[in-house]
Amino acid sequence: MTHTQDKSSALGQGVLIFVYLTILTALEFFIAITFKSVSILIVVAVIKAALVMYYYMHIYKLNENSDDDTHSYSYKTDTNRLGLWLFLLSDSFVFAGLMAARINLLGFTRPPLNQLLGLAVTAVLLLSSFFMNRGETSMAHGDTKGFLNNIVITFFLGFGFLIGVVAVEWRLAAAEGLVASFGNPANGPMGGVFYIMTGMHAFHVFTGLIFLFVVWNNARKNIYSAEQHWGVEAVAVYWHFVDLVWIFFYPALYLIGKLIV
Amino acid sequence: MRHFVIVGILVLVTAVLTYVGLDVAGVATQMNPIEASAQSIPIDWLWNWEIIAICFLFALIIVPMAYSMLVFRRKPGDTTDAEHIEGNTTLEITWTVIPLFAVLALAYMGAYSLGETRRIDPNAMIIKVKGQQFVWTFEYPDTGIISTELHLPVDQQVLLKMESADVIHSFWVPEFRVKQDVVPGRVTEYRITPILVGSYKVRCAELCGASHAYMESPVIVDSQADYDSWIVEQVAIVAASQTPEGLGKLLTVKNGCIGCHSVDGTKMTGPTWFGLFGTKVNLTDGSTVTADDAYVTESILDPKAKLVTGFPPVMPPFKLTDIEIANIIAYLKTLK
Amino acid sequence: MKKFFSTALARGLFWQLIGTLTGAGLVTGIRVLMGLSATDKFFFTEPAWVLGGFFGVLFFLAGNGSVSDWFKWARGIETPEHHEERYTGWEKYLNVSLDHKVIGIQYTVTALLLICVGGLFALIFRTELAQSQLQFLKVDMQLFGQNGPELYNTLMSLHGMIMIVSILLGVAGIMNYVVPLLLGAQDMAFPRLNAFSYWIAVPAAVLLLMSLVLGGFGTGWTGYPPLSARAPVGVQMFFLGVFTAGWSSILGALNVIVTVVRMRSKGMTAMRMPIFVWASVATSIIAMTATQLIGLSFQLVMFQRLFGMGFFDPAKGGNPVLFQHLFWFYSHPAVYVFVLPGLGVISELLPVFARKPLFGYRWVAMSSMGIALVGFLVWAHHMFTSGMNEYLRLPFMYSTLLVAIPTGVKFFSWVATIWKGKLTYPAAMLFVLGGIVSFLLGGLTGPPNATVSVDLHLHDTYFIVGHFHDTIFGGFVFPFFAALYYWFPKATGRRMNEFWGKVHFWLMTPSFFVLTLGMMRIGLLGMRRRIVDYDPALNFDSTHLVLTIAGYLIGLAVLIFIINFFHSISHGEKAEGNVWNSRSPEWQVPSPMPTHNYDQPFEVVGEPYDYGLAGSKYVEFAKPEKSKNK
Ligand code: HEA
Ligand code: HEA
Ligand code: HEC
Ligand code: CUA
Ligand SMILES: [Cu+2]
Repeated sequence: MTHTQDKSSALGQGVLIFVYLTILTALEFFIAITFKSVSILIVVAVIKAALVMYYYMHIYKLNENSDDDTHSYSYKTDTNRLGLWLFLLSDSFVFAGLMAARINLLGFTRPPLNQLLGLAVTAVLLLSSFFMNRGETSMAHGDTKGFLNNIVITFFLGFGFLIGVVAVEWRLAAAEGLVASFGNPANGPMGGVFYIMTGMHAFHVFTGLIFLFVVWNNARKNIYSAEQHWGVEAVAVYWHFVDLVWIFFYPALYLIGKLIV
Repeated sequence: MRHFVIVGILVLVTAVLTYVGLDVAGVATQMNPIEASAQSIPIDWLWNWEIIAICFLFALIIVPMAYSMLVFRRKPGDTTDAEHIEGNTTLEITWTVIPLFAVLALAYMGAYSLGETRRIDPNAMIIKVKGQQFVWTFEYPDTGIISTELHLPVDQQVLLKMESADVIHSFWVPEFRVKQDVVPGRVTEYRITPILVGSYKVRCAELCGASHAYMESPVIVDSQADYDSWIVEQVAIVAASQTPEGLGKLLTVKNGCIGCHSVDGTKMTGPTWFGLFGTKVNLTDGSTVTADDAYVTESILDPKAKLVTGFPPVMPPFKLTDIEIANIIAYLKTLK
Repeated sequence: MKKFFSTALARGLFWQLIGTLTGAGLVTGIRVLMGLSATDKFFFTEPAWVLGGFFGVLFFLAGNGSVSDWFKWARGIETPEHHEERYTGWEKYLNVSLDHKVIGIQYTVTALLLICVGGLFALIFRTELAQSQLQFLKVDMQLFGQNGPELYNTLMSLHGMIMIVSILLGVAGIMNYVVPLLLGAQDMAFPRLNAFSYWIAVPAAVLLLMSLVLGGFGTGWTGYPPLSARAPVGVQMFFLGVFTAGWSSILGALNVIVTVVRMRSKGMTAMRMPIFVWASVATSIIAMTATQLIGLSFQLVMFQRLFGMGFFDPAKGGNPVLFQHLFWFYSHPAVYVFVLPGLGVISELLPVFARKPLFGYRWVAMSSMGIALVGFLVWAHHMFTSGMNEYLRLPFMYSTLLVAIPTGVKFFSWVATIWKGKLTYPAAMLFVLGGIVSFLLGGLTGPPNATVSVDLHLHDTYFIVGHFHDTIFGGFVFPFFAALYYWFPKATGRRMNEFWGKVHFWLMTPSFFVLTLGMMRIGLLGMRRRIVDYDPALNFDSTHLVLTIAGYLIGLAVLIFIINFFHSISHGEKAEGNVWNSRSPEWQVPSPMPTHNYDQPFEVVGEPYDYGLAGSKYVEFAKPEKSKNK
């Protein structure tokens, strides 16, 4: 490993990034309340995305070439990592397509969604990414117990996000007249766009939860170690990717346009 | 060097021969069919240059290939490899840069030609076009004429404002060249200046369902005099049809009913209206019903309520007023 | 027979049936509980068919065993890197195998089968087109809930899509077989993913064919709404089929890229990779990313139908043109997925048969990347008449014309490679040359389509149909056949019959040129696409008759090929050495290729195409002792 760090500094870094992300999210919300600027929202989202990709998803590891022996675990991990990132690249085309559809159909208007709830689920997802990072860091230092604890927290936060969106927000949206009932948009294509964007994202959260369960279960059987835990890393990267998507979807759905007129 | 000279000559000869060959085979060295609109002229101009370029480029690739295949081919008994030539940077740059210029020229000509086809005459006459499965209707807003034939005066720009009632269609008169999709939910525009008196057809060019092939309507370019007399005639018809039957007939044109229903007994997408009134109609659920006012009204407002056997359930519901329906019924009653 | 029913293929199909019934039954059950109607025209209701189709795919994969290792991993169980091959002979190919060579052959044979099915559809509807008026697809006929013209539209659309899927599989087949061999790798980077990518394509093909019997979908392969939003339930099976086939393509492409990046043998720098590898990478970049958008566009129509979300429904504020943008964002780059590997095959084989280095290797390699990248920026040239924003038309015209430059580089380099080459003409080489000529014709008819004003005339006519049959045949079909003739001995240790190979070529090529030039001719005169019948007044009857005959002759040629192919597997002339006297690493070892590819790893010590340079070598195999202590 070229990037050896001692455990507490690695955890400290996670905390720091989390604080940055929180501040940026608050800033985003503040922008939306005070004035209407899509470009600033984009800038903030890109900064957040860069932080997540670098510090939580460790994109720099793509450059690592840890071993020359093509049969070693670390060589294969490097290969797997490349595969995973390419998959995420491919997947992000779906989300980019949804974003394009959203802009085409709704322009820069904002669906009348429940702001508080939006902020709440965003915070929950962000927090879950933080714990995911802690979990992964623990595992990278061989602390299976710490990993298990953190992963459980991540799981429940993720689950909370899912409930918040699918069970609460979807109902609220229907009740508040964004959509007359499921799939019956009274408000132009707004309902359709809202459901498909949140739905597609929620589907990814859902698969993420399954993967979380799988690594949790495997970690209980002690099959990961500080040196060999590709499964954990993969799930972590995937989980942060889902967060990454939300970094763009949240402003696109909740913050575009001025909040308080 | 000798090879290059021979090939160079052959390229030119072959390019000419290809051009002549295409001409003989009828693969349009001149853009076809005849030019009937002002817009077709810049289009054909561009096409004719393109076909010349195609013939030349075709020869440019094919001739050295064929020459080499024949002249340098492996002689019997020879087992050695060919000369070791890896590449030549000058050549490579040449054949990147020269096509680049060709492309720039083409881009310029393309933009020019497009600009020409889109020249706007502020005095263009406006006609409304409606496309629906599988019929075109034309409405002349100045005179209130509604027709299934498009009549245009020669040498006068018209602006068609086109709407679709259901799916995407495409308005295309091959002799006019230009094509424009007719998209539901928006008005698309089509500008044309007919320059040749004659009778053509608009042919729907976007797949729109089972009878897409048959979505064709006459387009007639008249001399100004003929056009004026057609207008007078049509206005007279509109005026004469202020009876319920007459209005009903106009409504069946305007709403595109006659795209699916014939009035002379021939079978189309829907049942014929000839002799419909008062007869017994067999329904898909096995029952029969007499074609009376109530049945016809229901058939128009809610076609799926009672379905006639032997026909697909494709008729869309129409939102017509009571008076309009009464007029249509009056008209149907005359069809015996 | 008994053996057949125990293969993974048979098991998969059985489970797909069960899955379809389960999914459909589930929805139907819920509907009954909710008091909704349980059955419809095609027995189940539309939502039931959709879930059924979806479950069918999942059950197929779970049932045939291509995902069982992943389930083991999820439970923390280790699996061996490679399973021992349990089967021999034909059974090997009907079961799940992790060997890229087996998978490559599975892909290839599936692609050939689909070409036959799609071609058969073409022959059926071409027969109807031979004369104006309706001959047998009449309005009063009924088949699978469709009347004649509706059936025409379904057959035509399925012809398009099945052919396209068959191309995707054919491309994957060649890449799968050849790329690891060219790189000196033992297998693809992710063998299980590789098997998965193949096997998911099988239920996809089944779904596509199901659409034919579930009322069809007369929308063209492009499936534009609102027409596709109104089509019968068959269109949902079509959407699902394409969606599933799309995943096959995405994951396969991902695998290729990772393999190329991570599994090259020693000394194989980027500029020493065989040129086909470059083509594969360029192709895979497109397939891996853009494919998502066709999936998404179809998925949105699917949801519009199921849940009434009005994305493309103008009555609900949706935008039909948006669909076209999403669709073509994939489907234009996709045409370069069809051709880039084919052009790669041409560039790979020409030096072998010309006994000369590939002229300007670097430029040819870079031109593949250039085509792939510019290809992402041109999609709206399919939409010049669509009513999209006027001002978009010019930039898309310019970007489209730009593609001519890197494509031209390829042509000129090929010509320069042939120039002074000592050419020989076995069937494989004939198909290479035929491919060049027909792709040239197809390519040169591209710029007229790209210039907006001329396209206003050409759009949606048979001129376009001629254009793309030319490009597809030149860029895929001819090179595909060339590749099959060329690598057949590598896979089987036998050669395909040369005589019948030449008959195949000389029958197919002239007929093919007649077919496409005829299409262009009537297209210019006003023959629209996708029509079951044409106005007799246009005088197209005689040309159409010729086209139909040409179509049949192509079919006959393909049939000859198919027979030759399967016959030669067991009866072909033995060919175990370096048949073509090629420098490529895969020909330096005996044929058929050993199970684990190269017993000794090799090192790249020279340029790949240095024919005619005395004493030069491309690869050098390690000494056996060295590899023993590993
Ligand atoms: C294998 C597939 C393939 C390939 C490679 C291409 C290649 C090209 N295509 Fe084609 N195309 C299709 C498959 C393909 N196409 C299909 C399937 C459709 C119809 C889809 C449907 O509607 O169903 C279609 C439709 C289509 C359209 C839409 C037409 C319409 O519907 O109105 C257009 C418009 O621009 C177009 C343009 C081009 C261009 C410019 C190229 C270029 O890439 C060609 C470049 C090559 C050359 C130009 C020749 C070699 C170059 C030289 C010798 C150098 C010198 C040349 C010049 C300077 C010009 N194509
Ligand atoms: C790989 C791509 C591919 C290939 C190879 C072909 C091959 C052929 N195509 Fe093409 N075609 C398309 C892709 C392709 N097509 C696409 C994408 C469309 C657009 C669809 C749309 O508009 O939506 C289209 C549309 C299209 C049309 C326009 C239809 C219309 O607009 O109404 C026509 C019309 O002539 C046509 C004809 C043919 C013919 C005669 C062949 C011939 O070459 C076929 C030759 C026959 C065979 C290859 C079959 C050989 C097999 C046998 C004889 C039987 C053996 C059987 C078994 C072993 C089971 N095709
Ligand atoms: C897309 C084609 C289509 C259009 C447009 C259409 N119809 Fe129909 N129509 C049908 C078909 C098919 C049937 C038979 C099936 C049914 O009963 O719905 C039918 C049935 C009818 C019937 C019952 C006829 C019978 O024989 O019992 C009447 C009356 C009728 N249509 C009137 C109209 C009127 C009036 C209009 C226009 C305002 C119209 N239709 C437009 C296709 C069409
Ligand atoms: Cu209307 Cu085709
Ligand atoms: Cu294209």
